[in-house]
Amino acid sequence: MSATLSADFCVIGAGAGGAVAAAELAEGGASVVLLEQGPEHRADDFTARPPEMLARLYRDAGQTTTVGRPPIGLPLGRGIGGTTLINSGTCFRTPKAVLERWASEFGLELDEESLRPSFERVERALSVTEVPAELAGRNAEIARRGAERLGWSHGYLRRNAVGCIGSGICAYGCPTSAKQHVGITYVPRAEAAGARVVTGADVRRILVAGGRARGIEARSAEGELLTVEAPTVIVAAGSIYTPLLLERNELGRRSGQLGRNLSLHPATAAFGLMDEVVDMAHGVPQSFFVDEFSDEGIMLEGIAGPPAHVAMALPLSGTKHAEAMASYRSLAQFGLMVSDSSRGRVRAVAGRPVIRYDVDDADADRFRKGIARLHELFTAAGAREVYLPLPRGTKPAEARRRDLKLMAFHPLGTGRADARPTHGVVDGDLALHGVEGVYVADGSVVPSSLGVNPQITIMALATRLAFHLLDSRVPDGSSDATGGVGISA
Amino acid sequence: MSSIDEFVARGPLPQRSALRALLTLARRPRGRRLLKGLPQLNQLAGSLLAMERFDDPAVSGPLGWDPVAVAARGRDLRRAEGRL
Repeated sequence: MSATLSADFCVIGAGAGGAVAAAELAEGGASVVLLEQGPEHRADDFTARPPEMLARLYRDAGQTTTVGRPPIGLPLGRGIGGTTLINSGTCFRTPKAVLERWASEFGLELDEESLRPSFERVERALSVTEVPAELAGRNAEIARRGAERLGWSHGYLRRNAVGCIGSGICAYGCPTSAKQHVGITYVPRAEAAGARVVTGADVRRILVAGGRARGIEARSAEGELLTVEAPTVIVAAGSIYTPLLLERNELGRRSGQLGRNLSLHPATAAFGLMDEVVDMAHGVPQSFFVDEFSDEGIMLEGIAGPPAHVAMALPLSGTKHAEAMASYRSLAQFGLMVSDSSRGRVRAVAGRPVIRYDVDDADADRFRKGIARLHELFTAAGAREVYLPLPRGTKPAEARRRDLKLMAFHPLGTGRADARPTHGVVDGDLALHGVEGVYVADGSVVPSSLGVNPQITIMALATRLAFHLLDSRVPDGSSDATGGVGISA
Repeated sequence: MSSIDEFVARGPLPQRSALRALLTLARRPRGRRLLKGLPQLNQLAGSLLAMERFDDPAVSGPLGWDPVAVAARGRDLRRAEGRL
């Protein structure tokens, strides 16, 4: 059995980039097919139990791991919404200094002013607002107390949520659908505007003839062949899978950069045992930040979760672990995220990604400093004990790379944008160098570490791309009008 | 299938086999004694078993976390407000 669909645009991946591009294109009058490898997840199936939700909402049950020193867990979402379904909802615009670096180093004509309409449009669509203090929870209150006593710069984070009641499990599927992930915002908009959304579609081939895109071939969940005939293909499979798909199709390889330049936000967290009840899972888990050390590449951000989450993450074992868990209600947790200078690489081995990433000396030093800062923060907040993510008895300044217990988020850069075909995989308009009609709209095009959570950057770039393909400008201000635009693929 | 077994079963093949073997060891007295000499593996096994244990509402409830109530509250709110 086989099926064939035709459209102006075929978008591969329904995460932060693909869903936004599909919705904007469809609302602009184009015919769109949006393909997603994973399933559609419904909030009715969210159980607030971490192991179950890791197994169902995350790619490989959240067990994606880098190969390197040290190995690092890299959780990725899978399904409609992509990683926006399981992220913490934190929203930052691309920092000005990063945009300036992109202009000087990669020849990208992007600045705050030119991206402003895209940022505003995305933030409006996602209802981005600052977390109110009363919803931030006592976990954030402890970090705020510590930061204030130390005189460190801090604030409440902006995030995409409507009607949030602080269920405390953003990363395991929001049970109230308060978090405005793209699966409940942009994807329904795309469908309402006529886009056809296909789940369980594993794209195997990007069809190219005469130097331009002709469509794709995919396998459905039932193993049937699905062909989408489209003169423009937008690849948005994420920073780990986009380079594999392009490589398999011998696309985007001319610069030698495909799959390289992988940037992550490696991260870790510490716990403080307080004298007060914290109940860290009551409130928004990631609601507060300390950016005192952002110039050093160290950002402190909130993290929290229910007992099963803490039991897994607590850097203790045996009796100490049991004692700390018995005091779960008085535990506070706070994380640190490093804007990395390390770079990794993604390659396919037997069809699966192998992610090589070694933490370099500079980043290891950022972790030593950052972990020491977390200790200071909890001590200033009045913690009775602080549990650092290091082997017992190891001081932060003495930590070796193999001592670091890390997770990582926000993979970027494996299909980086650069105006020069010899240096980048896509150009400043996110068009693949060397072929007509193939674009990339996900984190892989982001050419450097951001130092902040990337979802708004990815969505803004996808918005800009969609309007470029519609031969239009992103509407400025509060206007949502998209009528009267043509299609220029 | 327990929640931790589902978590392991959905992992990628190399980890799946390794974690199954690790959990088998960690659930047996002789295996636990063996793991004591391998601190990193021992901590990983301990973390997985602790996640399973504290995922049990009977254990998490006294610690102030009732997942059934959290999910039900979310469902009721979604229905009342017509959210997806």
